[in-house]
Amino acid sequence: MNLEIILNTLESSGQSGRAITTEESIVLYNSLLILQNENHFRKIYFWGKIFGSDKDYFVAYGYVNDALLGRIYYYSRDCINWGLLPLPKDEAKLLTPLCTTMFQGDPALVIDILIEKGEIALGKVVKEHKVRKLKEEDRLSATIYYLNQEAVLVPRGALFKRPDGVTIENRTFEGLSELESREIKTFLHYRNPTQKWNTNLLTRDDYNYALDFLDPADMDIPEGCFMHHLVAGNTIVLIKPMYWPGMIFFHYIQTNRYGFVYFGNGKKCLDVPFLLLPNL
Amino acid sequence: MIYDYIQNREDHPDDVTDVAPNYEQEFVNAKSFLQRTSTVTGDNMYDHLTDCLNKILAERPENVIDFFEEYSRKVKERRYYPLTDHLEDIYVPPGRFAFANKIMPFLKPLAPGEPSTVDPDDLEIADMSKNNMLQLLYYFEQTGVGLPRNDMFYLTLSMRKLIHSKPISKIRFWGVIYGIFKNYIILEAELKEEEYIKRNEKLLQDEILPPPPITDETALQKSGEEIEKALEELKHQQDIGGEDRTTKYPRQLPPEPPNLFEEPPEAPSEPSGVGINKKVYFCCNEIGDDWIELPDITPKHIRIARQIYKSFSGFLDREVLTYPEFPGLEKDYLRAQIARISAGTDISPLGFYTFSPGGEGEGEEEEEEEAEEGGDQQKTTYSENPKYDPPPLKDLLDMSVSFWVHHTLYILPQGRTSWWNPNPLPEQGEEMDEEMGEGEEEKEKPIGPEPETGPPLLTPCSEDATLEAVPAWSIRCSSKIAEEYAIAIVRSNLWPGGYTFTTQGKLWQNIYLGFGLKYLEHNFSPTPLPPVQQDYPIGPEIMEIMDPTGAQEEEWRIAHLPKPPPIKIMGGEELGEEEEDEDEDEDDDDDDE
Repeated sequence: MNLEIILNTLESSGQSGRAITTEESIVLYNSLLILQNENHFRKIYFWGKIFGSDKDYFVAYGYVNDALLGRIYYYSRDCINWGLLPLPKDEAKLLTPLCTTMFQGDPALVIDILIEKGEIALGKVVKEHKVRKLKEEDRLSATIYYLNQEAVLVPRGALFKRPDGVTIENRTFEGLSELESREIKTFLHYRNPTQKWNTNLLTRDDYNYALDFLDPADMDIPEGCFMHHLVAGNTIVLIKPMYWPGMIFFHYIQTNRYGFVYFGNGKKCLDVPFLLLPNL
Repeated sequence: MIYDYIQNREDHPDDVTDVAPNYEQEFVNAKSFLQRTSTVTGDNMYDHLTDCLNKILAERPENVIDFFEEYSRKVKERRYYPLTDHLEDIYVPPGRFAFANKIMPFLKPLAPGEPSTVDPDDLEIADMSKNNMLQLLYYFEQTGVGLPRNDMFYLTLSMRKLIHSKPISKIRFWGVIYGIFKNYIILEAELKEEEYIKRNEKLLQDEILPPPPITDETALQKSGEEIEKALEELKHQQDIGGEDRTTKYPRQLPPEPPNLFEEPPEAPSEPSGVGINKKVYFCCNEIGDDWIELPDITPKHIRIARQIYKSFSGFLDREVLTYPEFPGLEKDYLRAQIARISAGTDISPLGFYTFSPGGEGEGEEEEEEEAEEGGDQQKTTYSENPKYDPPPLKDLLDMSVSFWVHHTLYILPQGRTSWWNPNPLPEQGEEMDEEMGEGEEEKEKPIGPEPETGPPLLTPCSEDATLEAVPAWSIRCSSKIAEEYAIAIVRSNLWPGGYTFTTQGKLWQNIYLGFGLKYLEHNFSPTPLPPVQQDYPIGPEIMEIMDPTGAQEEEWRIAHLPKPPPIKIMGGEELGEEEEDEDEDEDDDDDDE
């Protein structure tokens, strides 16, 4: 969510019951502007808040050139002092899904992860009990990586791929129409596309080389794993992925305002098959 | 060449400039080429470029070259709008129109009631002074939760309307449960005690006079018994006939296995106004809809709700398809989850409520009596402490959470707040079901008919057990800068979405905004199916035995060859039979012996 929205989150993420507190929003607005200036970011965004049992993490990102691949993440525990979030390590990416505890709020904390005998972890069957260590900072980084991979969406047309391969924000984006916003396939994953370029292009009849380069959200398994609502008298579209409760995506229909924010404990919900309901 | 060129120049002395010879002609050519209309769309390049440049120059966007394609596409699209939009003249109401229509009745001042002679104080209309949602929103926003400002305002109005139409003595905004298709906005209310008495009387009457469907069932049962009797007679006759027959086919079947399963006695539900049914909940999907009262629930609802993990659809009359089977519709499930969430997350600052009879409500005595009838000494009522002195912020922010107390009764594993003795039968079966149920607080489960106990009312939250290293509560302060205005925030970790705040004054409030599901440390694993039961007692008839080989049969025959010669003919007969079946031989052999 960009800085203009931060100051009044009740209208956007409040549709799902969460908001940035009054004081935090004011502090964030200013401290993020300073962070943007220090790093010469073209734009800076608030990413979300991960609840820890003792302290919470605030996460922000900005980019200099490329809005897709050039995102740089910062995190903070007091909204004022920002630290660079390390890139997710392969080891952390493998261990994070095995963590069942809550975040504590101390980035230096080392968590022991017990991998039991016979469990299939790290891609193969484990022969004997193992204890692996994971620093909470790395876990945070891997969690954010997974959230970005699986849960973050953008409306189609909001990002524009220039012929030189750099992704920028589309200034001519005028918002989705109400009909479009009722379809989950007009929302794209904000991640490096995993499908081949022509696969994504041909999912639509009215394809556009510069807009349809991201993976559409309707390819996700199982069907219906996004809660999709039109709220406030059909003026805002709200999408909540069931795999990551707490992630809120919103888009004001027919305006260029859109964004996402995460308020949650940073744990993936693997019980989606029990929660899915067939449409009536 | 140069010479030629000069020569040429000299040939045309008037053409002094460096312009191409036929520039006008070329210009006309180029322009006519650009103006050539497309055979498909009837468009031409010239007009399009003019439009694009016009738009760009008018709007002057930044870095326009990067989006030129997009611009050009948009200009083109716009040109076609009027052609395709044949419904242009038809007025389409804006999306919010329906909503505005729905909310308008609330935005008018309440119609003045009929002038009555009753004193306004005796009308007993619920106190709304604590329900100014905009005031609460101010604090909720500092807590980090909240609904949009409009919604909060409409909510106040709609609550105000509700208390005039229903016999409500206390009301408060409970929260929102977000569903897959629709959400539930929930109000918590206490009814006037006459209403509770009326309801319980009606319930009693219903119990005394069983409703007609049950009589139908008994009739069915009777006819079933008749059929069974007739069948048995038939069977008996067959048996008699069987004696006359020489062969034993068809063999007599073993008796049908009886169903030995006895349903464990079901704990009776608590009457309206007591225990889990102490409060009444109203819900609606969207603000402006009518408030629908949720039904009272039984202990079984609570017990099953603890074993399942299911999201809400947003339709109250939808079936909840789960294993173990949920005895009711989604509204019962919703009500059960609300009861569980309330029992888990309703907390208040220490000292706000006391057990001393400070309040003047007559209902409290009544409730107490009813509790005593239930054979329970547990205190179930409390009242507001008139001398409440708010604890200092530092204590409220203490990580041990000992300055916060639960003010809703703990729900026992049985599904009631007061224990019901299922004597004389010990509740073995029930105990099995409750494996998952102890979620609220990890308590030692009593064995047998030993009464289940939970923490009494107004127990500090510090007593709450942690769920696998997850502390039950997280405490935050709303401000690090302006401490004199800061509020204390308590967030439930077991029920994500449960929040409580208190100001440094006397104002505090609980709210729940979430999916209505409890926090699970590990993945949910559904209750396994019970083991398959044995139909028949184990015996030779139903056991699988290897068929004897030919050699074995021969051996057996030789071993059993009759010794005395006079019965030799019998032996021959036996031999014939033996080939038919082994079992029979055995029987015959027994007979012989």
